Amino acid sequence: MGAVARTLGCALWGLETALVTVEVDVANGLPHFAIVGLPDTAVQEARERVRAAIRNAGFEFPLRRVTVNLAPAERRKEGTGFDLPIALAILRATGQLTVDPDGLCLGELALDGALRPVRGAMPRVRRALQSGIARAYVPVENAGEAAALGAEAIAFRSLRDAVAHFEGVTRQAPVDVPPLAIAPTPIADLRDIVGQETPKRALEIAAAGAHNLLLVGPPGTGKTLLARALPSILPPLDPDEAVEASAVHSVAGLIDPDRPLLVARPFRAPHHTASHLALVGGGTPPRPGEVSLAHAGALFLDEFAEYQPQVLDTLREPLEEGSITISRAGGAATYPARFVLVAAMNPCPCGHAGDAGTECTCLPDAIERYRGRISGPVLDRIDLRVHVPRVAYEELRDERTREPSAVVRERVCAARERMRVRGRRTNAELSIADVKRHCRLEDSAEALLGDAMRLRRLSARGYHRVLRVARTAADLDRSERITGDHLATALLLRAAA
Amino acid sequence: MIALRPEDGGYPAALRDLRPAPDPMWIDGDPAVLERPCVAVVGTRRMTPYGERVARELAAALARSGAVVVSGLAQGIDCAAHRSALAAGGASVAVLGEGITSFLANARGRRRVLAMELRARGALVSPYPPIVPAQGWMFAKRNALIAALSRAVVVAEAPIGSGALITAGDASRLGRPLFAVPGPLGARASEGTNALIASGVARACLRPDDVARAIGLTARSAAVSDPLLDALAAGPLDLDALARRLGLDRAALRPRLVTLVLSGAVVDEGDGRFARGAS
Repeated sequence: MGAVARTLGCALWGLETALVTVEVDVANGLPHFAIVGLPDTAVQEARERVRAAIRNAGFEFPLRRVTVNLAPAERRKEGTGFDLPIALAILRATGQLTVDPDGLCLGELALDGALRPVRGAMPRVRRALQSGIARAYVPVENAGEAAALGAEAIAFRSLRDAVAHFEGVTRQAPVDVPPLAIAPTPIADLRDIVGQETPKRALEIAAAGAHNLLLVGPPGTGKTLLARALPSILPPLDPDEAVEASAVHSVAGLIDPDRPLLVARPFRAPHHTASHLALVGGGTPPRPGEVSLAHAGALFLDEFAEYQPQVLDTLREPLEEGSITISRAGGAATYPARFVLVAAMNPCPCGHAGDAGTECTCLPDAIERYRGRISGPVLDRIDLRVHVPRVAYEELRDERTREPSAVVRERVCAARERMRVRGRRTNAELSIADVKRHCRLEDSAEALLGDAMRLRRLSARGYHRVLRVARTAADLDRSERITGDHLATALLLRAAA
Repeated sequence: MIALRPEDGGYPAALRDLRPAPDPMWIDGDPAVLERPCVAVVGTRRMTPYGERVARELAAALARSGAVVVSGLAQGIDCAAHRSALAAGGASVAVLGEGITSFLANARGRRRVLAMELRARGALVSPYPPIVPAQGWMFAKRNALIAALSRAVVVAEAPIGSGALITAGDASRLGRPLFAVPGPLGARASEGTNALIASGVARACLRPDDVARAIGLTARSAAVSDPLLDALAAGPLDLDALARRLGLDRAALRPRLVTLVLSGAVVDEGDGRFARGAS
């Protein structure tokens, strides 16, 4: 055989992946080490890490002309995950390794030859599996991610470990499939929330149909508690959703190495000082933002009106498309971003407009400016808007048993099942054709909707959004037809009646 | 925009009661509306939900009986009155305390939209040349002009010290019938109007069409009586509060509420609360 060796790596752009053949040629000539095939800075720096790691692991770095090619060579490669395949290919090309590594190699090298974990192991292993490559050689910390997807994950602590394994000196057994993550106990249960019947119902509709929700009310009335009760009524993750959501967390480096697969729907609550980069993602290479980390779960934006208006406007694309594409000079990355938005805000700067207990001290123009911070296009995508009032003392003392989250969750799951049978995961995803097909109205509902349209209270977008919410209200009632009450609920919650 | 001088034909005769009468008076819009019976609805900028409802219902009743609602286009009561008069299909005139061009250059948001509508369906009026910017002392002249233009003046809601009370003083000096809407005892926002009634300077306005009758217009009020509307008299409520107040369950209330909202008798506040509409 000649002096060319090949190993297999994987490149990652956002969640998009491609297998990369790492080719190494070691030729006579002046000592030289070059990486070609559009490496970015982190990949270029692999030269220094690989050289030191090979030497410090007790091997010899060839004092010859070493050329590394990352094929296909036309797209930019990012990150440190190519260190291991490059080092193994060099060892193979120089005969220090006598066996061809026959799987996906992934890992960053420390200068002493130890292996370090990389971000985004999960989507890369998934790509390999999809291409029929079932074996992955990964750092110990990433082994759980690989095994969770069903790959035969061989975990190494160092370059020496790897060579010893391939040479058959000390074989490593594939890593066991890690246990599922423990679902976090929800912070709040609906049973603990007194009164607030309409807000609770809106929360249930939001959870069932994945409709976006805005809670408006004076400070201290339980908006945050309501929002934090949402995870307690969200249905569990589907297996494919779990993989997708976990992959985003993997890219963001937020995976628990021992329990890599998410079981509970994510609930993200960024602070209102968040920048648009933090919210929708960005940077070079583009990292996923909060909207993507909330994928398949919920994004809670407390103090909605305190966010920078430009930051809020960046939500328009993910709210409409269910994904976000971040374009940079180096290329674009697309991340999934299908989440339930729960926003909470005060009705005015002082917080007491409409509060029976305290007088509002804001001038009308100030209130208008405050509400105007949320642009029309963003507001238009929020289907449910409810008032969360101060709870009266008599209600606080009301000791009647309230419905616990577990019961509500069962209704939500049953409604989701009806939606699944219809072919969509949630009613929020119903296309316009689906709405036409599945939203059959009773006569009373038909009349109501006709009136609302005639009086031009609804835009065309609003019309379909109202029907989707009404569909969810009917699903929660186990009803195939949409009644007048379901439609009235949807119209009143949209503030579009 | 036109400048009317006292010797011009269309100059409102009522303004001659002012000494000195504004010369010229700047008008942007339709000068003919000033020849129709005008009634001023004024009040505080810091309005309460009660004051807002009162202003809305007064202005709508006046507009329906054919009166032109005059006010100052300040935030709060003034805007509520202008808006409601236009919504009821009537005309409305805003008297500005600064030049009209200067006002339009600085107005933002919904108030700017309202100013444009007033130009189209009524008039903007100012005693100051177009590009004169607002100064604190200029509003006294504006208030007197509001009173002089009107056959009657109603104060919808005003605390002690409100600028609306200056307009009220001008009205009684000029001999215009003065009305004030009584407010809840102990509510700071109504102390000024209650005091006007207590001192006998103003008559109590007890029904939306009282004012129209006093100046000889036939009131045509669309009196809708519904316990649901009564429950909203003190201010906007959300669905749960409304159901509690009426002793109804929400499922029964929802379709009724939707019907009322669609008919305009109830308006949606946009934050999950519902208020009484003007009609």
